[in-house]
Amino acid sequence: MRRARPLGLTLGVALLCLALLFPFYWMLVTAVLPTSMVLAREPTLLPSFADMSFRAFVAAFDRKPLATWMLNSLIVTVGATLLSLVIASLAGYSLSRFRTRVQEFTGLTLLLTKMLPGSLIVIPFFIMAATFGLIDSLWALMLANAAVGVPFATWMLKGFFDGIPRDLEHAAMIDGCSHLSAFVYVIVPLARPGIAACAIYLAILSWSDFVFARTLINDQSHWTITTGLVSFIGEHGIDWPELMAAGAMSMVPMVLLFLVLEPFLVSGMTTGSQR
Amino acid sequence: MGSVARPARRRTLARRERRFAYALLAPAVIAVAALIAYPMYLIFATSFREGKSLNFLALNRRPFGLGNYRDVLTDGATWHNVYVSAAYTFGTIVPAFLIGLGTALLLNQVFPLRRWLRSLMLLPWAVPGVMVSIIFLWLFDASFGVVNYALRSLHLISTDIAWYTTESTALVAVIVPTIWKSYPFFTLTLLAAMQSVPVDLYEAAKVDGASAWARFRAITWPGIRGPATLALVLNGLWAFREFDIIYAATAGGPSQATETLGIRAYNEAFSFFYMGRASVVGVLMLAIAMLFVFLARKQLRKEFF
Repeated sequence: MRRARPLGLTLGVALLCLALLFPFYWMLVTAVLPTSMVLAREPTLLPSFADMSFRAFVAAFDRKPLATWMLNSLIVTVGATLLSLVIASLAGYSLSRFRTRVQEFTGLTLLLTKMLPGSLIVIPFFIMAATFGLIDSLWALMLANAAVGVPFATWMLKGFFDGIPRDLEHAAMIDGCSHLSAFVYVIVPLARPGIAACAIYLAILSWSDFVFARTLINDQSHWTITTGLVSFIGEHGIDWPELMAAGAMSMVPMVLLFLVLEPFLVSGMTTGSQR
Repeated sequence: MGSVARPARRRTLARRERRFAYALLAPAVIAVAALIAYPMYLIFATSFREGKSLNFLALNRRPFGLGNYRDVLTDGATWHNVYVSAAYTFGTIVPAFLIGLGTALLLNQVFPLRRWLRSLMLLPWAVPGVMVSIIFLWLFDASFGVVNYALRSLHLISTDIAWYTTESTALVAVIVPTIWKSYPFFTLTLLAAMQSVPVDLYEAAKVDGASAWARFRAITWPGIRGPATLALVLNGLWAFREFDIIYAATAGGPSQATETLGIRAYNEAFSFFYMGRASVVGVLMLAIAMLFVFLARKQLRKEFF
């Protein structure tokens, strides 16, 4: 009796999972079925393997520069994430170890960015990008994404550094390390789970960005995957299998990253809230 | 001799430490000043520039005055936007919170494959807002959508509902995808909070014969109330700001039925080129968000200050 319960629980949770993830399932089913089957009044909920093909994937890549858009998204995501992580780890460490005047403003800044809508801050970003000739430049997108990422990442990483005893870097400094190298070689490796959690957060944020990409980029060859996907909707008579195939492809990098790093995220949140 | 030298040395050490502390902070301070503070200033400055302009760089040549504030605040459409924003925000966070709480309670149990089921359950959170929107556009499609098919099969409707193009249903059709994207955040934060509740409390309660509901009320809820409130506030602010999901699905239509303040600001700026009015809408959004934060300040103070 006691043994039976966990298995029953697994089954129950698995069923709930299936229900919650139905939209994913439907996206994949639509992507692999021929258009004639997709546009049916009575959709096939459980299609047979014989009907499936990767036609829509090929067609989507053929008809639209999906690879270019994904590459652009990747460049922006990697750039913005690294930039935010470096800036935020330095700042987060400083806030965790020293009391400075800046400390008083950090909570406020974070709160402010939580209140600042993307569709609002994009207005000055557009003006600034136009001033510096950065319209259509991926640099503008990196900076815009980093702008929203830094305050939040600083806060998250500060929480992590708070959890690492000071004695560790003091020991390294007594051994002749400078404070900076003590930070780089002793503290950063210890904070790796926190940095990983923070990186997923930042990467997902940048990869998902739509409002900055839509506004700051006009040139189709510089679009990111999100602007590219939305361009399918505007078309007369949406080709659903193609759109779902393109969408599924667009999610692969983030879903992989998420599934691999998710334990860090949960442990990261736990330490963060116990602070 | 030593007693004189030591304080001096300590002072230079302290000064060096201080310089180090500020040097580490410098990049972040510069980033925030250039990319948050200055843009905020630009929004305020622009909100006083009247009229429309296709040339964004010549904004400071437009007449200066309070005209935009008068126009926007006396416009009935603005208050409609406020209403839509409120309905969208609360319509999202309440169901998302309940789903998040339910899933967190389940995932807090011990069972095989928990790690993988947890990852899967949190997955919608990793999907870009526009992709969430696109998936639900297809699920809610009038003729071939699986939602209408289900409703037809259950004989709940006799004619198809055009969810996104009907004024009365469009808001629901953008709220559902938003709930789907935002419940994992609740699951994650509530689960983290539950895991910090000591297990022996539950065991003691079990020995005393407390029911599951009593255990939840007496142990779980008091343990997670703080993080739960914080998560509600943060997710509320997120939903209030949300742009991608609505814009990709309806861009605010049909006839402004899904036009939140965020969508309105964007449309004013980039469809009608009234940068000043857009900025005023933005200032109004910030004011409302601040009011919201002010009301929740007790909870936030513990976390932020």
